[in-house]
Amino acid sequence: MKAPALKIVVTVKLVPDPNAVRRIDPATKRLVRTGVDTALNPFDEYAIEAALQLKERLGAPSTGSGQATTVTIFTMAPESAKESLRKALAMGADDAVMLSDPALEGSDVSVTSYAMAQALKKIGFDVILSGALSDDGNTGGTAGALAEYLGVPGLTNVRKIEAIGDGRIRAQRETDTGYQVVTGPLPALVTVTMAVGEPRYASLKGIMGAKKKAIEVLSAADAGIDRPLGSDGAKMEVVAIAAPKSREKARVVEAADGASGAQAIFDFLRERKLV
Amino acid sequence: MRDVIVFVEHSAGQTRKVTFELAAEARRLADALGGKAHAVVAGSGAAALAHQLQNHPLDKIHYTDDPDVDKYLLDPFVDYLEAVAKSAGPSVILVPNTMLGRDIAGRIAARLNAGLASDVTELRVENGRVQCVAPKLQGSTITTCAFKSGDYGVITVRPNAFSAAPKSTGAEVLSIEKPSGKSYKMAVESDVEEASGELGLEEAPVVVSGGRGLGGPQPFESLLKPLADAPGGAVGASRAAADAGWVPYSLQIGQTGKIVSPQLYLAVGISGAIQHKVGMQTAGTIVAINRDPTVPIGETADLLVVGDLFQIVPALTALVQKAKAAHA
Repeated sequence: MKAPALKIVVTVKLVPDPNAVRRIDPATKRLVRTGVDTALNPFDEYAIEAALQLKERLGAPSTGSGQATTVTIFTMAPESAKESLRKALAMGADDAVMLSDPALEGSDVSVTSYAMAQALKKIGFDVILSGALSDDGNTGGTAGALAEYLGVPGLTNVRKIEAIGDGRIRAQRETDTGYQVVTGPLPALVTVTMAVGEPRYASLKGIMGAKKKAIEVLSAADAGIDRPLGSDGAKMEVVAIAAPKSREKARVVEAADGASGAQAIFDFLRERKLV
Repeated sequence: MRDVIVFVEHSAGQTRKVTFELAAEARRLADALGGKAHAVVAGSGAAALAHQLQNHPLDKIHYTDDPDVDKYLLDPFVDYLEAVAKSAGPSVILVPNTMLGRDIAGRIAARLNAGLASDVTELRVENGRVQCVAPKLQGSTITTCAFKSGDYGVITVRPNAFSAAPKSTGAEVLSIEKPSGKSYKMAVESDVEEASGELGLEEAPVVVSGGRGLGGPQPFESLLKPLADAPGGAVGASRAAADAGWVPYSLQIGQTGKIVSPQLYLAVGISGAIQHKVGMQTAGTIVAINRDPTVPIGETADLLVVGDLFQIVPALTALVQKAKAAHA
């Protein structure tokens, strides 16, 4: 008997193209995201990979009966970034939904997670997957906040989903000293580490097919959001930005042998009172 | 007036060192805000840990050794923290920027509808408002954020960014009542330790890290560990070394691993790409050993020694051990 179908939603973040220069607008003190090409947060590609692996594992629906496991990509981003989602669709996701609203610009972690939660409730899900890290803001608390706003368990830093189905999940989570095995009911939010496996490349067929896949756009109102958004709703504001203190260029010592190299380091540490 | 609450992280009956740093900072902030400094310690052994925390400058130490905290994933922690926060009123909550701390911070921030500041390395109080300084965009920008309202605020603090200041201020130790109406479903079946020692990686005063140049897993044990052990330090690794399976990912330092800020960082056979730099660039002193004089780590390091790491490291270990013995 086939495992029952799952509705998997992968939340991805669109980040400024890693190859583009990142700039902060001095007036708004926000990362400039307009006019900069966006790309999938590279860590979220691991989540897409994990979702597609689950879909393969759970298999296609038996003919004529039941529903297939589906993978939906979800992001909160300006509508202009729509095309950046094609890559995820080309990898094999079924469709995509965007939460796009000018009112969301300038949202902090609190507003972002709240707004995403509202949209995700609207979309519906058995499991939400996302990358354990983001390539830009690096706030790290979004997954926990999202799980809380959704009212579902948050399994962060998962390296392996051991079993999923029949309304339950069993997974290995990385911890500071190793890993733990957790088990409990779905729905749940899961963030995955790079240990789930390298993201697959899109095939030519996938790329062609992605052009025809649907990308639905929800406004804040569509998602039933009724809280102040953007910087109005944000709990934090940036009051100053500065360049980091630059380090002096390294002193370079060519070591003729092990002893002289070691002595050079030892003397340097002595100088700095570190030994 | 605002209180400041420290989330106490502990493992195997030991309070993590970062907690003491947070306690000192909580005292300073509470004094500036005219409030009290609290700590919340939950889980197995919490009562004993709460009493040990009396050596730190806090006003109230709240504890629970409810077994649910260890049996279920995260939620009990958040419930107890929430209970203390609610009784203290709009307060500032300090959480270590660690794997556990980040999860707790996100959840409690949402629970309290609070702002969240991440990976903070400096805290200030200006006109009664808490300001949080943190590196962003891979360390290329330093931002200062402030909580907009007098509501709750949650801050994750980078370990080693602040100094502990042990001092007894006669803190009260109080047991927290179990929040009612809670049921937990996500069970922790087992906790497996894969590598010991690296729990202190983010908190170690000295970190000796190895990269691709080590060529395999064995030199991490035979070369780096003795050098790290001499000053009570910890061994770390680059992503290349972790990806190659030479060390567990829990040792990895960098954007996709741990962020460390030790007094001394030794990068051995690590080229030092931006991905690694993000994880260690705020270290006090950075020394690199590499056979290539043009490696990017030269941009970040204070001293770059160009030579054969397999000869330099054992010789350096001997010098450090000798100095330590002479000192003892």
